[in-house]
Amino acid sequence: MSNDTTATDAFPQAEDLSGPLLTVKDLRTTFSTPRGDLTAVDGVSLELGRGETLGIVGESGSGKTVLSRSIMGLLPRSKTTQSGSILFEGTEIVDAPDATLRDIWGAKIAMVFQDPMTSLNPVVRIERQITESLRLHTTMDKAEAKATAISLLGQVGIPSPAERVRAYPFQLSGGMRQRVTIAIALACSPRLLLADEPTTGLDVTVQAQILDLLSSLQAERHMAVILVTHDLGVVATRTDRIAVMYAGHIVEMASTRRLFASMAMPYTQALLKSTPRISDPSHTRLTAIDGRPPDLINPPTGCAFAPRCDYATEQCRIEAPPLRTAPEDPTHLFACWNPLQTGHAGTVTTAKGEL
Amino acid sequence: MSAESTPLLTVNDLVVSFKKGRQVVQAVAGISFDVFEGETLGLVGESGCGKSTTGRAIVRIEEPTSGEVAVEGRQLTGLGRSELRKARTSIQMIFQDPVSSLNPRRRVKDIVAEPLDIWKTAEGAERDAIVREMLEAVGLDPDVAGERFPREFSGGQCQRISIARALVMKPKVLICDEMVSALDVSVQAQILNLVEDLKAKYGLTLVFIAHDLAVVKNVSDRVAVMYLGRLCEVAPSDDLYALPAHPYTQALLSAVVEPDPEKAASHVALTGEPPSPINPPSGCRFRTRCPKAEERCATEVPELREIAPRHQVACHFPTLRA
Ligand SMILES: Nc1ncnc2c1ncn2[C@@H]1O[C@H](COP(=O)(O)OP(=O)(O)OP(=O)(O)O)[C@@H](O)[C@H]1O
Ligand SMILES: Nc1ncnc2c1ncn2[C@@H]1O[C@H](COP(=O)(O)OP(=O)(O)OP(=O)(O)O)[C@@H](O)[C@H]1O
Ligand code: SF4
Ligand SMILES: [Mg+2]
Ligand SMILES: [Mg+2]
Repeated sequence: MSNDTTATDAFPQAEDLSGPLLTVKDLRTTFSTPRGDLTAVDGVSLELGRGETLGIVGESGSGKTVLSRSIMGLLPRSKTTQSGSILFEGTEIVDAPDATLRDIWGAKIAMVFQDPMTSLNPVVRIERQITESLRLHTTMDKAEAKATAISLLGQVGIPSPAERVRAYPFQLSGGMRQRVTIAIALACSPRLLLADEPTTGLDVTVQAQILDLLSSLQAERHMAVILVTHDLGVVATRTDRIAVMYAGHIVEMASTRRLFASMAMPYTQALLKSTPRISDPSHTRLTAIDGRPPDLINPPTGCAFAPRCDYATEQCRIEAPPLRTAPEDPTHLFACWNPLQTGHAGTVTTAKGEL
Repeated sequence: MSAESTPLLTVNDLVVSFKKGRQVVQAVAGISFDVFEGETLGLVGESGCGKSTTGRAIVRIEEPTSGEVAVEGRQLTGLGRSELRKARTSIQMIFQDPVSSLNPRRRVKDIVAEPLDIWKTAEGAERDAIVREMLEAVGLDPDVAGERFPREFSGGQCQRISIARALVMKPKVLICDEMVSALDVSVQAQILNLVEDLKAKYGLTLVFIAHDLAVVKNVSDRVAVMYLGRLCEVAPSDDLYALPAHPYTQALLSAVVEPDPEKAASHVALTGEPPSPINPPSGCRFRTRCPKAEERCATEVPELREIAPRHQVACHFPTLRA
């Protein structure tokens, strides 16, 4: 990774560069719904280093978006209760006053969503959408901001940026629009970029272009990225570390290589096995996961994956497995009574009292 | 496969154009292919290349501008309304969004029976028996699921209901348009396995449209690659993925990432975006993005031709096997 800071010279630098960029501790996000309370993020803890890329994977409804919106402080206050802590560069995000959040948004944490049209204003020229945040968070004047906007569009691979900056979002293709939202997100050189399914729904060729773009911009700027996706192929090749979510919990977390080389959690394995691979011969039978994720309003006792798990034992149905570390690698965490490497023929190798 | 038999579905020089203001969009610009009995033909390509329009023109939801579609040698194009209605029952289509294609106010057993009721193919006890059989075939309990409404089901279960509804007419051909694209991988695997089972059980012939190349490979016997309204390459799945001959197929395949960090992304970067179908490039439509393009590509349209048994490619400079 490069330490070149030319791209960020015009911006106020973070004072304290030691320690993790982001520390989430026992975060719990609950929505009150007509059917009852729904805990979408249930006791999540994680740390993110500067410049690091963390992938978050899991099925639909597992809480990926709620977790990333919580980190950004973007959830509506009414009908949402949160506990735990989210420290970003030492600033607490949970229940932070609006003024604190406004200072952080765009300037320090930025977000890219799946559908670019949700973050772009359809009736405002691209130029103004980029310069607005620059004018707000930096000391640039109008001309400087415009020049920066054009340079950003160039950096995200938009041809003839000086002309395109005058365009409206609807005049661009889906891939181009996603590039524009990335340019907007990067305008103030955030320390953390939250990318929630940034390439879902885009063609593979465009997806590859956008992900290449993100990696190179990230390396240039030493920016941390949280990449949320349901696509195991994307996280396998584009992240340093992966957190697997199921029913609001992180059920496994490890470095990307370690996770794919020796996954411990049956759910992670099941996800991988149900994914069709281009290297397999056609008509290879897929291993589907029966059933579907639990109702978060009435979560099952014990392990949330137990009803669908091939390795589940009586204990799994009674007692929720805590997150514990793999003996060979303290950075590898998993929540399972019968992890894959240890004999899972019904024998519980770790005494539960130990945990 | 049944390569020697006569094709069950034949598409010949199909053209579908749309008027957009004063301009004309040629969404499908003259494509031809055969699908043999019991075969699954995959249809892939980037967004907007004309996959759905092709599928819709085959079942005549979209009126072809020209060209022919025949099932079992019987022309569908040119048939009168009532004849077409009858012939069309042998082709059914399944769409991407399972939830919105099901009437929210009807019970599942009546939704599944809809085609039988419309065509008056079966009534009373016979109708109910067919509905039960198909609900069971797609893995739903007819007594429990049949009485419920679509909103009580997940996306994957709604897709099962759409499949059951398509199957009650005992179709010969099923056109599946992005049928698993909205589903999670775990559910996607359930539906893909189900499709394979039903194909074997009912001897179905499938056209499987999707943009996910790994999904298409998994279910298809042969795959056709489409670009800007034209076919670039058609080949048996394993051949196409192992030895792609068309530069576009090569670029497309190299952009696919495997869930394996040891196989880090090293793709042929495809620059630019597909040109507008309103004003497509002369000659080969891919030439504006093709790393191999030469003068001839701008002047001469490459026709689909066979470069190996059952392997066809439309390129002046295809990669030939050693
Ligand atoms: N504002 C809200 N009010 C009530 N429930 C919500 C709200 N937002 C999300 N949920 C619920 O929280 C759970 C987690 O949702 P979330 O959007 O985080 O899932 P996800 O992992 O991002 O899924 P996807 O892959 O479909 O985007 C779901 O059950 C969802 O229905
Ligand atoms: N009813 C219509 N009127 C005008 N243009 C249309 C119509 N339907 C499709 N088109 C155009 O025809 C072209 C092909 O569209 P089609 O939906 O067949 O593509 P596709 O390959 O299915 O794409 P996707 O992967 O996004 O579903 C596109 O340029 C599209 O804009
Ligand atoms: S704890 Fe039990 S049920 Fe949960 S994943 Fe592990 S083996 Fe399966
Ligand atoms: Mg989400
Ligand atoms: Mg389509």
